[in-house]
Amino acid sequence: MKSKNLIMLLILFSVVALGHKINIFATVEGNQIYTQSYASDGGKVKGGTIEVYDKAGNKLLTGKTDSLGEYSFTIPKKDDLKIVVLGGMGHRAETIVPAEDLPEVVVPKGEKTQVKPKKEPVQSPLIATAEIDTMVIRKMIEDALDRKLHPVMRMLAEQKKEKVKFTEVIGGIGYIFGIIGIFAFFMGKKKNV
Amino acid sequence: MHIAEGVLSAPVLIGGATIATAGTAIGLKKIEYQDMPKIAVLSSAFFVASLIHIPVGPASAHLILNGLCGIILGWASFPALLLALFLQAILFQFGGLTALGVNTTTMATSAVFCFLIFGKLTRVSNQTVNFIGGFLCGFLSVLIAGLFVAVSLTLSGEVFIPVAKMIVIVHIPIMVIEGILTGFVVLFLKKVQPELLENYVQ
Repeated sequence: MKSKNLIMLLILFSVVALGHKINIFATVEGNQIYTQSYASDGGKVKGGTIEVYDKAGNKLLTGKTDSLGEYSFTIPKKDDLKIVVLGGMGHRAETIVPAEDLPEVVVPKGEKTQVKPKKEPVQSPLIATAEIDTMVIRKMIEDALDRKLHPVMRMLAEQKKEKVKFTEVIGGIGYIFGIIGIFAFFMGKKKNV
Repeated sequence: MHIAEGVLSAPVLIGGATIATAGTAIGLKKIEYQDMPKIAVLSSAFFVASLIHIPVGPASAHLILNGLCGIILGWASFPALLLALFLQAILFQFGGLTALGVNTTTMATSAVFCFLIFGKLTRVSNQTVNFIGGFLCGFLSVLIAGLFVAVSLTLSGEVFIPVAKMIVIVHIPIMVIEGILTGFVVLFLKKVQPELLENYVQ
């Protein structure tokens, strides 16, 4: 029983024990937007709330990140989309996907994205196939590219993780000593006068 | 426990900034020339402690050290933590700049509170009592800071009980580690540099 409680605690701990900062990375894949949310120490934001807003600030949809900190959704609208992730305990990050990054035709939610090849009369096979081909091929290429690029995008998201740099830490300590040193200088001056 | 930009409502941000300003003013007024070096050292210690993540089980935690700052710095914790939090915000975006006042209030108020109540325990000549004093300051500073975060999130629209519960449960290991560490630091300082614990900023 005790060990069970401990495990529960550890799970809860792993869910919410983030660094101080969370980040969100979003890419467009076909008619979907894929997002990945992670903490500054590299941990994933599990079960975080994702909120999507349009340019005017209307909330379009909400969702929850999965165990990998990922969440994908169908593009609700061709507009500058603001994606916000809330990690709980005051953690929040946002990113904006500009309208020009979104595909021209946004398929409304629920509708199947598959392009149905039209049945053309047999008389003019050449013209018909040429017309369908461009659409189908474009769709196929996009699908294939999305599938192939998904791991690359994920890697990019991983690489983009902003970890604390040693030089910045040392720099920060330097600032603290410098600023307090300046204070001390003026205090000492006053004391001598 | 750093609250990010855009999470809290304006009245909470203004309230936090007011308390932080008042605390910093009191602290600055009480600082003497000879306090400067230890303020610099503890401000840096606090600055670095939050950056070093120690893996605890599947997750990672980090020390906060605000209790230790309280014991050694007293009221000077306010300016010391304000400076460290400011640098964390601009260098690493840990906690928003607009939330700087709230974050300072969260960390420093709990530190000063514990110092005023349990600080005496670290100055008697009994090692066990010293350790307990240090432990209580370290442990409770984190707990109270967590409750402050919960209160400020509640005032900005979240429900208090679940938020507070989550923050407290997550920080239990940190509270314990921080308490033990602060206890040992107090014992160590008592041995090698007892005046550090005597010349606090009252």
